[in-house]
Amino acid sequence: MDYVVSILPQMFLGWLVTMQIFAVTLLSLPLGVILGIARLSKFKPLAWFMECYVWIFRGTPLLLQLLFWYFGLMAVGVRIERETAVYMAFILNYAAYLAEIFRSGIQSIDRGQYEAADVLGLSRRQTMTQIILPQVFKRVLPPIGNEVINLVKDTALVYIIAISELSRVARIRAVTDDTLVPFAIAAVFYLLMTAIVQRFFKWVEARLDYYH
Amino acid sequence: MYVLQANDIYKSFGQLKVLKGVSLEVKKGEVIAIIGPSGSGKSTLLRCLNRLETIDRGTITITGEYMVKSEKDGRAVYSSEKDITRLRRKMGMVFQNFNLFPHKSVLENLMIAPMLVNQVSADQAEETARNLLDKVGLAQKANNYPFELSGGQQQRVAIARALAMNPDIMCFDEPTSALDPELTGEVLRVMRDLALEHMTMIVVTHEIGFAREVANRVIFMDEGLIVEQGTASEVLLNPQQERTQSFLSTVLMAR
Ligand SMILES: Nc1ncnc2c1ncn2[C@@H]1O[C@H](COP(=O)(O)OP(=O)(O)OP(=O)(O)O)[C@@H](O)[C@H]1O
Ligand SMILES: [Mg+2]
Repeated sequence: MDYVVSILPQMFLGWLVTMQIFAVTLLSLPLGVILGIARLSKFKPLAWFMECYVWIFRGTPLLLQLLFWYFGLMAVGVRIERETAVYMAFILNYAAYLAEIFRSGIQSIDRGQYEAADVLGLSRRQTMTQIILPQVFKRVLPPIGNEVINLVKDTALVYIIAISELSRVARIRAVTDDTLVPFAIAAVFYLLMTAIVQRFFKWVEARLDYYH
Repeated sequence: MYVLQANDIYKSFGQLKVLKGVSLEVKKGEVIAIIGPSGSGKSTLLRCLNRLETIDRGTITITGEYMVKSEKDGRAVYSSEKDITRLRRKMGMVFQNFNLFPHKSVLENLMIAPMLVNQVSADQAEETARNLLDKVGLAQKANNYPFELSGGQQQRVAIARALAMNPDIMCFDEPTSALDPELTGEVLRVMRDLALEHMTMIVVTHEIGFAREVANRVIFMDEGLIVEQGTASEVLLNPQQERTQSFLSTVLMAR
């Protein structure tokens, strides 16, 4: 028990780093909405570009993308902060997944909704923001929840470029102190985080349950 | 005065010619019923009139202003987007599947367009909305959501929603086709009331009884053309064209 208490402060610092990566990567949510809409653009080059984007960022491992943004750029003489590389990799990768979710969500809305808004005189922007997207958000909530839970766990990948987030701190302590206890503590941290995320999405779903 | 004039409208989807030279003039206060077999182009005609579809050839004017005009070579050229938007606001549209906004309450469904499009204040929009709900007999459903209403009630809300924009002409595309037979009456009653108030209306319908009672003019369409038109009794009771006769006999036989 004393041991647990003794390493808790260090684990907690690691957890803060994990939380920071998690929080910043949530920026991929609004980005995903925009990219999802762009993917459906009538302007073909844009739609095509988005298709390539999604293909590349969903089609390669996040780990590899992380290495690219850090070591890859370094190799061609571009030095960026380790944290910047992490944010680039995570935001662009998650935005690709989320863009696909939003795209299919937008496409699942009945054409009649667009037509009703159109004949009432709503502009395209008003139709999107007032009529289509609110219904899309409700529909995509479960898959988005899954992605956010994946994100909690994916933050552990950044150990590869030696950032001391929760799992890396645990690994280092486990090796130096020759015990598995730090791993158990890290697991509890992750479980708590995913439980909170799950709770949050349940709560939002319940709030949006006022219509079918 | 003509609320709407459509002249020599042509419309194809790819190779499929759907409208092959349709002309239609609607005077203020007129109620026009369009009947005809499935696939004859009735919905397409309505959708062309309010530019849910664009036409290939022909002319459409709304209250005397061009929405689309034919060039010398016959090609249809639309007016500026700004003019079209203004003209389209004069037309209300009611769909077969209601197309209410499911995430908005009944009241909000009626308020959203006046507020967003006409910049009406919320108070003003709500007052208009409540009056219209009263008129279609749904005042007590103002705070319900569409999924809580029957099909007939939803369609009446959709009619009120279109009326909230204070249109010069209302288009209905088979407004009762998606309804159980016992629910069509309440919708037709609302439409009949509108006709009595001299609302200008174009109604695509399979309800021959409604056409006979309410329409000033009945148009029979087949294969992308107006085959026959006239007063309800002329077209429905004493059709001159063989195609009209055979259509009516199958429709009337079916009931
Ligand atoms: N968007 C479209 N793309 C391709 N073909 C279409 C489209 N809309 C309609 N059509 C075709 O045009 C023809 C006329 O369709 P329309 O819906 O206007 O008929 P309708 O008279 O309204 O029939 P119904 O009584 O069944 O509603 C049909 O053959 C239909 O398949
Ligand atoms: Mg039709």
